[in-house]
Amino acid sequence: MGRRHPTRSRVMAHAGLVAGIVLLALPLVLGDLYLVRIFTLVGINLVMVTGLSLLFGYAGQISLGHAAFFGLGAYTSGFLTRLGWPWVAGLLAGVLVAAAGGLLLALPSLRLKGHYLAMATLGFGEIALFFFTEAESLTGGSDGLREIPAAAIGGFSFDTPTLKYALVWATAALVLLLAANVVRLRPGRALRAIHGSELGAQACGIDTVRIKTQVFVISAGLAGLAGVLYAHYIGFVSPSTFTLNLSLILVAMVALGGMGSLSGAVAGTVLLTLLPYADAIIPGLSRDTVAFLQDWESDIHGLVLILVMLFMPGGIAGLGRQLAVRLRRTSRTAEGGAS
Amino acid sequence: MSMLSVRGLTRRFGGLTAVDNVSFDVYEGTIHAIIGPNGAGKSTAFNLLTGFDTPDAGEVRFEGTRVTGLRPHRVTRLGIARTFQNTQLFDSMSVLENVLVGTHWHTKTGFLRAALHLPGVRAEERDSRELARHHLRLVSLEHLADVPARDLPHGQRRLLEIARALATRPRLLLLDEPAAGLNSAETGQLAGTLYRIRDMGVTIVIVEHDMGLVMDVSDEVMVLNEGAKIAEGPPRLIQKDPAVIEAYLGGDGGA
Repeated sequence: MGRRHPTRSRVMAHAGLVAGIVLLALPLVLGDLYLVRIFTLVGINLVMVTGLSLLFGYAGQISLGHAAFFGLGAYTSGFLTRLGWPWVAGLLAGVLVAAAGGLLLALPSLRLKGHYLAMATLGFGEIALFFFTEAESLTGGSDGLREIPAAAIGGFSFDTPTLKYALVWATAALVLLLAANVVRLRPGRALRAIHGSELGAQACGIDTVRIKTQVFVISAGLAGLAGVLYAHYIGFVSPSTFTLNLSLILVAMVALGGMGSLSGAVAGTVLLTLLPYADAIIPGLSRDTVAFLQDWESDIHGLVLILVMLFMPGGIAGLGRQLAVRLRRTSRTAEGGAS
Repeated sequence: MSMLSVRGLTRRFGGLTAVDNVSFDVYEGTIHAIIGPNGAGKSTAFNLLTGFDTPDAGEVRFEGTRVTGLRPHRVTRLGIARTFQNTQLFDSMSVLENVLVGTHWHTKTGFLRAALHLPGVRAEERDSRELARHHLRLVSLEHLADVPARDLPHGQRRLLEIARALATRPRLLLLDEPAAGLNSAETGQLAGTLYRIRDMGVTIVIVEHDMGLVMDVSDEVMVLNEGAKIAEGPPRLIQKDPAVIEAYLGGDGGA
């Protein structure tokens, strides 16, 4: 019985992969540019939420300041490429600056727990937002940075919506693949152990401070990477993007998907990113409905977060697991009845 | 020379001296029990031995190395493993994964190696799983390897914590009330498990309330009362020690 488990989950993983590829190809096949644009945003959010999932979903360390790392990546790369740096250099710098910001925040605050860590990260987010708004010579102040060039590697520029879409999703797929490797092996188990019992983890010889610092830096770096993708996709960054609101949405995406589940985080990201663009997915949706979803977006996110905490603490992944258990049970009783 | 040497260990909480100038030695290959009435300072002593708490005075040496002042994970890496009075399992993880975490410090796949699935990662993972299954067999939990730890009943949670501790490759294993909540059949099995662990070359220190188990398995017993050592010696002599009888019967009876 224990042997059937891995093959079954492998089948599920492959099915998920195929479904993902079909879904991704769809906007291109349909040639619908609106859809392509929205799904590019989904891909950017996925990179960011994968990082937050490692930190919050797996290690149980909350961050209410991830918008800051997103912003650090976006501004750094935007600023440098406007000076004429190649995109790849801007990308590396953006990731590094965001990761360094993560380290700076992790060192003092990872000794804090629960609400205190939440407050520290929230404070960091607000300080970063203040910096984005006030450091005009670097960030353009509240007007932001304009005319950020499109991503380019060598002489090849990703300057059409389709190319941008491909670049973002290639990055997102790569990030997800690497993260999926991490979570099912030794480091992933260490993260979940810290979440489960920090005392137990220490008793197993895990340097919990070190691992928490590492995952915080990785998480911040991935948010920075998402920021770089965003800056060169939109071509314009301003402080209004990097608010507490965004940090909260990211937390909601992880929680909706289910703690300690990457596939859940993917589902949460897709659902909540698409919410304000429901008209692109569901044809014939009235203009009023779409306007309602857009106006009340933050409220809906908050509501989702509360409902998930109250009624489905396992999130989408938890529901999936319950369903799988129930299916297995019914199939077993069916087999029993037949024999 | 003793394997674990404790000298003048003292820990105060405000006006209360939880552990009061306690010295003792644990010799390799033995099962050493620490007993005493509730609040005698047994669990505090365990925390002081494993880096989860820092003494106000005194020191602990393990095979000559100073343990006092080291953080808990460092103590584990020296070869001292422990379980907890309130089991500290990873509830959302499977039974096997719990034991796999025990192999953490002597395996080396980090974030980068795991992410890129570099050569050697697969082999190490396979070896770790084999080792973890071996330890599960030792405590008769192998058939539950894929069950989430949170679904285990109390007695098996204690056994799982022992398997996880063994996976850290200890030479000294500290067990904090392993028989608490076990029925008599389970306690009997536990005694057998303790002998098997000792015969693997792991020295055991056990804090326990179950006198039957203590008198049965231990080579040496130390008795704490109100933080201080009041007796030590082989179990047969301890049972007859007037100070011990006074601490157990007098203390509880008078209250």
